[in-house]
Amino acid sequence: MKATLIFLLLAQVSWARPFQQSNIFEFYDSMPNDEASGAAPEDPRFDTPRLSSELPELEPLGPVCPFRCQCHLRVVQCSDLGLDKVPKDLPPDTMLLDLQNNKITEIKDGDFKNLKNLHALILVNNKISKISPGAFAPLVKLERLYLSKNQLKELPEKMPKTLQELRVHENEITKVRKSVFNGLNQMIVIELGTNPLKSSGIENGAFQGMKKLSYIRIADTNITAIPQGLPPSLTELHLDGNKITKVDAASLKGLNNLAKLGLGFNSISAVDNGSLANTPHLRELHLNNNELIKVPAGLAEHKYIQVVYLHNNNISAVGSNDFCPPGYNTKKASYSGVSLFSNPVQYWEIQPSTFRCIYVRSAIQLGNFK
Amino acid sequence: MKECVLLVFLALCSAKPLFRPSYVTLKNMMLKDMEDDGDGDAANSLFPTRESIYPFFPFDLLPTCPFGCQCYSRVVHCSDLGLSSVPNNIPLDTRMVDLQNNKIKEIKENDFKGLTSLYALILNNNKLTKIHPKAFLTTKKLKRLYLSHNQLTEIPLNLPKSLAELRIHENKVKKIKKETFKGMNALHVLEMSANPLDSSGIEPGAFEGVTVFHIRIAEAKLTSIPKELPSTLLELHLDSNKISTVELEDFKRYKDLQRLGLGNNKITEIENGSLANIPRIREIHLENNKLKKIPSGLQELKYLQIIFLHNNSITKVGVNDFCPTVPKVKKSLYSAISLFNNRMKYEELQPATFRCVLGRMSVQLGNFRK
Repeated sequence: MKATLIFLLLAQVSWARPFQQSNIFEFYDSMPNDEASGAAPEDPRFDTPRLSSELPELEPLGPVCPFRCQCHLRVVQCSDLGLDKVPKDLPPDTMLLDLQNNKITEIKDGDFKNLKNLHALILVNNKISKISPGAFAPLVKLERLYLSKNQLKELPEKMPKTLQELRVHENEITKVRKSVFNGLNQMIVIELGTNPLKSSGIENGAFQGMKKLSYIRIADTNITAIPQGLPPSLTELHLDGNKITKVDAASLKGLNNLAKLGLGFNSISAVDNGSLANTPHLRELHLNNNELIKVPAGLAEHKYIQVVYLHNNNISAVGSNDFCPPGYNTKKASYSGVSLFSNPVQYWEIQPSTFRCIYVRSAIQLGNFK
Repeated sequence: MKECVLLVFLALCSAKPLFRPSYVTLKNMMLKDMEDDGDGDAANSLFPTRESIYPFFPFDLLPTCPFGCQCYSRVVHCSDLGLSSVPNNIPLDTRMVDLQNNKIKEIKENDFKGLTSLYALILNNNKLTKIHPKAFLTTKKLKRLYLSHNQLTEIPLNLPKSLAELRIHENKVKKIKKETFKGMNALHVLEMSANPLDSSGIEPGAFEGVTVFHIRIAEAKLTSIPKELPSTLLELHLDSNKISTVELEDFKRYKDLQRLGLGNNKITEIENGSLANIPRIREIHLENNKLKKIPSGLQELKYLQIIFLHNNSITKVGVNDFCPTVPKVKKSLYSAISLFNNRMKYEELQPATFRCVLGRMSVQLGNFRK
């Protein structure tokens, strides 16, 4: 048992690649205290001559900070100010710019010029419907771009190649073109939930080239199938609340690193035999609130699966080998959560041996409680 | 035109390294606060530490990342997931939890229990009506707490004493109770705009012993300038309230004030001598009020560089309203004076009125409307 545990921990370390994102606290923590380094170059136009002879030495202002914003430690905090555009006089050494909850309607070319040290740009909860194609060009170090809760109809073009995290939740995006992700080889997290994406709105292979992509969430849209051509680096795929009807054998192909798969609240009536065999490292599978009539095939062969949600489906029978391998237990991880409630199958109809590889009684939820 | 003003501002600001003592002090204090939280394992904050996060627990008890969230570098990112409560398996060494844009109604006693390294907690845009008085009992390192866009009727009591920044914009707070900030010596930024707070809502003594540098109570129901805010204030923003007069005593406590925002109020009068209480002021915004004359005492404010007076009812400007009569008294030139949309005869303005102004572009007179 102990050996198994050690093996599992090692296994986890080796395949579950940790996020290599730089930490948000770098913005707060690793700030050298040199004021002058980030200052804008002097503008010769205002240098000489001083207007009036009466004036002695000028006392300069503090660091440039837009009125009402707070600027400290290279974090520029301008949220909740009712701004209708990006403020002009942003300190050029800014690393994090928070503009959330304003009334910005458009991002123009030049809005972020000089911000070549910016790592994170937060534009959540504005009224942005347009982003000029060159707007992000100066942001040569941008790693995080948060555009959730806006009115974008398309993903912005020419996003910085350094981008690691893109969040565009709750916009008006209907389609995702492959070309917008061209060259974004550092991308790790993409969140596109709550958009009116059409059934075929995601171009085939849209995410294919992103070799570090680890997390995709496209929940609460209108897509009817699992996007094709997902990169093998993926560890989490969250597609709950869509209109997916089926899990094809080919749709999860090559997802050797996938650990978490969320497909709850869809209209899935079948998981093709062999589809789960494409994801040998799956740990957590959510298929609750679908239209499944049986337990997906292949769970018993999964060595690492721990959580399987199947509640609120149409499952009328559970076989004794649906969850646990026959004979000697080859599982490397024990189930910690299996839910089957709110299915037509009655718990007294399930053979006790069905759960022979589950050692924690509370891990199984059968009762039809709500 | 406005851009030009800002350019001038920018040029001036960046012309020399700053030596205004109070700003340096502010920055240093904040640096100290943000930088060093006495954690002792600084390396952890910069690198993902998957291995050390998980000690040798039995597999079933592994503190895994809540489903759908991303956990990396001790940041737990759970925004936009439709969560109705705080997930219960947040790793205990987490430094930042982002739960914004969910449907959380209540913070319960144990939701953040044991998160002793928690530094930033983001709860913006939920449906919070209740925060348990003991919810923050063990988060002794919490520095930033964002509660904006919820339905809280009061600032939670028993906030951690370590808090440096509290944002509670757009809630239903009507009152600041006397004990709210008790012992919160580290609090530096308070943003509580867009709450139905009126002038009688701030209980006397509520800010006693608190050293806040930046307060914004805009879009509230204030009818006068609160007199009992912390005396350490460097920035005070009270725009979009219902303030009708500025009285002689109003600024008496705020001797260090550098930036003052009073735009969009109903101010008809600024009593003679009231501005003499804030000799270090650099920027005053009084646009969109009902002023009939230029506030008296401007010429004595040595460091004043920006004053916005547009959209008022000012009928005339005297030649000594802005600049001192004795040369060399003023330490910094005006970089922006706005006077457009007033009732004066602009052609009667004497050029000497602006003898202590940085450049021609610094004065906006034209009756143009934005």
